[in-house]
Amino acid sequence: MELNWSTFLLEIFNFLVLVWILKRFLYQPVLDIIARRRAAIETQLAEARQQHAEADALKQQYEHRLADWEHERQQALDRLMQEIEETRNQQMQKLKAELSQQEEKTRVARSRQDKQLIRAIEQRALQQSAEFASRLLAEAAGPELENRLFDLLLNGLSALPADQIEALGNKWGESPETIVVSSAYPLDDDKRHQLEATLSRVTGLSAPVHYEQDAKLLAGLNITIGSWLLQLNVRDELRGFMELADIES
Amino acid sequence: MTFNPDNVIIWQWEMLKINATLVFTWLVMALILCLTWLATRRLSDDVHPSRWQTFMEMLVSLIRDQIRDVGREDPDPYLSFVGTIFLFIAFANLLTIIPGYRPPTGSLSTTAALAICVFLAVPLYGIQRQGLLNYLRQYTRPSLFMLPFNIIGEVSRTIALAVRLFGNMMSGTVVVAVLISITPFLFPIVLQLLGLLTGMIQAYIFAILAMVYISSALVARKKNNTSTQNRPEPGGTAPAGGQ
Repeated sequence: MELNWSTFLLEIFNFLVLVWILKRFLYQPVLDIIARRRAAIETQLAEARQQHAEADALKQQYEHRLADWEHERQQALDRLMQEIEETRNQQMQKLKAELSQQEEKTRVARSRQDKQLIRAIEQRALQQSAEFASRLLAEAAGPELENRLFDLLLNGLSALPADQIEALGNKWGESPETIVVSSAYPLDDDKRHQLEATLSRVTGLSAPVHYEQDAKLLAGLNITIGSWLLQLNVRDELRGFMELADIES
Repeated sequence: MTFNPDNVIIWQWEMLKINATLVFTWLVMALILCLTWLATRRLSDDVHPSRWQTFMEMLVSLIRDQIRDVGREDPDPYLSFVGTIFLFIAFANLLTIIPGYRPPTGSLSTTAALAICVFLAVPLYGIQRQGLLNYLRQYTRPSLFMLPFNIIGEVSRTIALAVRLFGNMMSGTVVVAVLISITPFLFPIVLQLLGLLTGMIQAYIFAILAMVYISSALVARKKNNTSTQNRPEPGGTAPAGGQ
């Protein structure tokens, strides 16, 4: 254990030289490289953070935009629903009005149909009753009925007031050449005299009377005075009755 | 049999002697420089550097982390000094695996030189940080009576630093030599492997103690800035180390 001073001094020198060399060629370059790499990594991290921040900002922006879109969509949807509701209400009111009109039309049409049906039933009843009366009277017609109708005609003509007789006299116009009397059964002379006397008194005419027999009259008389026709027979009464039924229908 | 490489004289000119210690020191320096050149010739700041560069960056980062853990401050100002101590001693001790190699750390001249460098570095860093008067004033804390004891502590820990490394490496060399003469196969190999481990531990201890001594001077400044109480002594609070 001894100390060699020259070796001691040279070892100090060697160590200091080694310190300088390693500092110059090892530590400093390695530290610079580490610092550069760290700086590069920091730069990349900073860029990554910046990109992350930008991404966050974009994300928030998109979220806000999505929220705005959602809000606008909700508003548009609300407006649409409101418009749909209003339109639906309007359509419902319109439909109700149309239904009401249709119901009124239906009611009127039904009422008209009912009236027409009732009228048709009535007409049918009248026709049936007329047919029934025609058949009944056709079966029941006879000289007795004609006599009664004759009497009824004479009584009616005889019962005419004076003003009506005067009015009839003014309406004959030109005096007819003959007066034609048709009957379902032959008239005896007495009845002919009574009839001629009554006609002469009522019409004021002195034209000869021509008598005819027409079985189609069933019973009663048919008197033709020019253009005028006096009817009191079963056939014409039934026809009038049926025409009356047609007019009423 | 000569165990001290200082006694193996290779070339001499008057008082200047080139012995095995110096030659093996230069060999270690050349090896370190060669590896440094290999590692740093193609430095790149790519994310995936080469294996050599990765190894060197890892080594430098490891030393920086150790310095930071001990000194609790920026390790870069002390990296060159402490890192060179560690690398030099580690390589010098690891090469003992080569037959015929005599570790320069087995010479008291080398360990004393390294210890003197540490002895001088501590006040230099302290004065650089605190100023001359503030640094010298620490030796009179807590009272002027403690001045000789602090100076003795500084000297004794420097001597302990040198002798510890010298003793461990020298003893390892002696033990291996004795065992080779007795049992030339098994035990010398085992002790050589143990010597490698011991050499690495000694390099680590020497570097860490150097940093502890330096940081003790810096810590005193820190405490001066915050509080005047419990001021550590330059040599008193630092561990003296030992094995």
